[in-house]
Amino acid sequence: MKQELSFQIFMASPLIALAIGALFVLLWEVLSPAPIEKRKRGGALLTISFSLIALILLHMTAPGLERGATVFNGALYIDSLSYFVTFFLILGTIFSVFLSMGNLLKLQGVDAIGEYYSLLLITTIGAIVLGNAAEMIVLFLGLETMSLALYCLCASALRNERSSESGLKYFILGSFSSAFLLYGIALAYGVSGTTSIEGIAAAASGASPLFAAQASGISVLMLSLGLMIIGLAFKVAAVPFHFWAPDVYEGAPTSITAYMAVVIKAAAVFAFLRVIWIAFGDLIAVWSGIIWMLAILSMVLGNLVALRQNSVKRMLAYSSIAHAGYIMMAFLVPTEAFGGGPALVYYLVAYLLMSFGAFSVLLVLGSRSADFQKNESFRAFYGLHQVNPFLAVSMALFMLALAGLPPGLSGLFGKFYVFSAAIKGGYTGLAIVGVLASAVSFYYYLRVVVAMYFHEPDEAGAKISVPSSLKWIILICAAGIILIGIFPSLLYQSGIALIGNSF
Amino acid sequence: MGNDNFLDITSWSAFPWLSAIIFLPLLGALFLYLPSFRPAHDESGWRARNFALVISLVVFSLSIFLLAGFSSDSAGLQFAERLAWIPAYGISYFVGLDGISLFLVVLTTFLMPIVVLASGSVKKDIRAYLASMLVLETAMLGTLLAVDVFLFYVFWELMLFPMYLIIGIWGGKRRIYATVKFVIYTVVGSLLMLVAIFYLIWSYYNQFGEVTFMLSLLIQGSALSIQEEVWLFAAFALAFGIKVPVFPFHTWLPDAHVEAPTGGSVILAGVLLKMGLYGFIRFAYPLFPRAAELFAPYLALLAVIGIIYGALVAWAQSDIKKLVAYSSVSHLGYCVLGFVAFNIVSTSGSIFQMLSHGVSTGALFLLVGMIYERRHTREISDYGGLASIVPIFAFLFLVFTLSSIALPLTNGFIGEFLILTGSFLVFPVFTAIAVLGVILGAIYMLTLYMRTMFGEINTEENKTLKDLTGIEIVTLAPLFLLVFYMGVYPQPILKRMEPTLVSYIEFVETRRERLYSLDMQNKNIAFNADKTLSIDLNGSSL
Repeated sequence: MKQELSFQIFMASPLIALAIGALFVLLWEVLSPAPIEKRKRGGALLTISFSLIALILLHMTAPGLERGATVFNGALYIDSLSYFVTFFLILGTIFSVFLSMGNLLKLQGVDAIGEYYSLLLITTIGAIVLGNAAEMIVLFLGLETMSLALYCLCASALRNERSSESGLKYFILGSFSSAFLLYGIALAYGVSGTTSIEGIAAAASGASPLFAAQASGISVLMLSLGLMIIGLAFKVAAVPFHFWAPDVYEGAPTSITAYMAVVIKAAAVFAFLRVIWIAFGDLIAVWSGIIWMLAILSMVLGNLVALRQNSVKRMLAYSSIAHAGYIMMAFLVPTEAFGGGPALVYYLVAYLLMSFGAFSVLLVLGSRSADFQKNESFRAFYGLHQVNPFLAVSMALFMLALAGLPPGLSGLFGKFYVFSAAIKGGYTGLAIVGVLASAVSFYYYLRVVVAMYFHEPDEAGAKISVPSSLKWIILICAAGIILIGIFPSLLYQSGIALIGNSF
Repeated sequence: MGNDNFLDITSWSAFPWLSAIIFLPLLGALFLYLPSFRPAHDESGWRARNFALVISLVVFSLSIFLLAGFSSDSAGLQFAERLAWIPAYGISYFVGLDGISLFLVVLTTFLMPIVVLASGSVKKDIRAYLASMLVLETAMLGTLLAVDVFLFYVFWELMLFPMYLIIGIWGGKRRIYATVKFVIYTVVGSLLMLVAIFYLIWSYYNQFGEVTFMLSLLIQGSALSIQEEVWLFAAFALAFGIKVPVFPFHTWLPDAHVEAPTGGSVILAGVLLKMGLYGFIRFAYPLFPRAAELFAPYLALLAVIGIIYGALVAWAQSDIKKLVAYSSVSHLGYCVLGFVAFNIVSTSGSIFQMLSHGVSTGALFLLVGMIYERRHTREISDYGGLASIVPIFAFLFLVFTLSSIALPLTNGFIGEFLILTGSFLVFPVFTAIAVLGVILGAIYMLTLYMRTMFGEINTEENKTLKDLTGIEIVTLAPLFLLVFYMGVYPQPILKRMEPTLVSYIEFVETRRERLYSLDMQNKNIAFNADKTLSIDLNGSSL
């Protein structure tokens, strides 16, 4: 497929807009003539504006999307799934900016505002490249761009010592996992002679001439598959590659924790889809066993360990591990009707709303003073219903949605679609483990409700004010949860369309 | 009209009456958060209570209207409404009323104004209490009226959270333990049921190539093997059995009852427990008739254990509320026994008993709540000789005690009599043992009455107890009247249930026969497969 260069650049324009934004935000803080306070506030606005520009450009590229089409010599996919990936990741970034507006960053212990936003945009670029990569080298580049910027972001709260710990831990373990991924890519290249996803798919199906010549090819390819799954499972935070997650999530500024739980996880999920559904689509018998195991372990361990946390932030970290397990259930049922694809689309959007909602409420409480550990504990939620009913009601909604209990309908539908796909695919045992694990999760999600509603506040008459950007994001998340909960078809149908047009 | 079958549509509704009674309480709950009900403007909570009372009375009158418009000679769904909800999965907002759900709906809407009237003892955040109650009413009515399996599941799960709040915020000392136990117990069962539902719809899909959650279609499916049926029925039975609660799963109930505020106990005993048995009736039996038959003796056994065990434990209680709670385990055992005996007499008895248990146990919980408010103790030994101090209270307590032990001419008698008569044909031994439960019931209830109402006045505080106030009498009066109405002239109620139940039992039995004969056919086909290669399996099974 021969394409004009200008067309290719146009199709990549959202990424370019974000890259310009990243540089501009960095320079703006240094060069702007405005007084320092205004400059700092400008960072958030600039980031949001560039993200919105990227979204508009993305919208304009919509007519050029095509099934299986790529740009830049097969580097990036431009199909309807890539449209969704880009949209979702940028949306997550905008949400995350809402969690760092005004003086929220200062309260979280971050001083370098310009760098923060610049790194955030770079992370997003990396995430989009990772999610849309049609080529293993590009995939790796995306992963590394994303990760390196993210390591810095995790450590960006200089006045919170746990933040540095978080960044360092993530960096060391993250490099380790990148090495696994890279080794997997190298092996795949060695066997198939190509790094393109389609090329590897051809090799795995035995159609590649080079591959046919090698007797040991298939076993090397299986090894490569295993290594790549390890590398990606690390980013998804699936058990047993989750050890970094609780510490990193807890130490990072909450705006970044929410970003990691949603955007990074989603980017890795999309990369996962391309790798296992396309590149290794013919080896489903091999990877389905591995994914099955990862899903079970994540659901069981994530939910069980979350029970014993005293910090709500750590609890949410483990809950995000458990959700990775539910998400991976959908991997097992690739592209057929009522399969995992549209279920994933619904689940991820619902998860975006519930996670950002929950982390926003946590941020309101957590940023009250510098004692983050105390402010993020269950104890901090005691009697919240009396202190600030708005926060309590919305947090209750987010917790119920995460648990999947009505009135948190969108969470219920997320589980509905995923479990229904798994059972249709014949994974009834997995679904049973899944529902039992999620019954466990009710205990800790409701623990937050217990703290907010059934206990008296520690200090009588204490007031909690909600910064306006957080108020908005909480309202948006709650409204979104209710909307897609009552009308799940809106989202699910578009999920069917975009998955159907991409695989 | 007149010869519709179970789940056929007798009449569609031009005006969405059923939706109106389902969602009006929810709307009311939202309105309670208008500024004029804020504590600043409504310090005593009177305005909020009056508003909730009006809403619940309007819902009640609507349900009376449904009762009046209900045609008593038809077995199908009346006032049905259907709206596509999730078309890809064939899920629709599909509600309808038939003889099985009719009176449970009326019972629900009837108890709600009473609960609102009895909410005077709620001191903390009355607005949230009333809102939770109204949301709970929406959930309960939705559960009773839904004939789409998934819609049912959503409403079923929606019942949990308001009840969780009601016990957790306004409950007694160990409320958090009790409410968490309640939720976790219930949720484990219902999540396994969700898996079973999916398994069911995909098996239907494999047979007919269509995804649907509509009960009336799913009960046509015949692709499940008997083993699969047994597993699915077990999952449904676990969810419903926990809710009833059937014997080994009952341990959440006494905790929940004791800790719940009065209104919560009334709704819990009056309606929520019935949902479990209702689920058996509406879903588990028609969907899995063969497994139901296989399980029936075991369910009957558990029911009888529940009857005797509940009665014995109730006898041993020193706390009045706990005693009434365990008596519920015992009474619900009769309902289960009557239903699994599965003939028209015992089944109508079972539903009738559910109604009369709602009335009499609801009233007993109200009475316990009223005396608790005065004395702040529920220990039997703290009372004695109340009959001479609070005669109206003692009189009403006597009436509801007698109704609870099924004295003839009270509502309890009709239900238990029908159940025992009908069950004796099917389970003679179990029924004979269950009769002992009636005797035990009389023993523990009358002992309770004797120890609290008669004898010496044993404490000083009791001498100054005030008798029931006007509003308390108004609260109890409708229940009092119903005890006798249902006991003396049950015919209008039984008559309206009968057509549906007859056609229901016939349906389940025909379906069971059909599935068994299909099994036989398939076996023969498999046997003959070598000789006749071109037998169309699906064609022959339809």
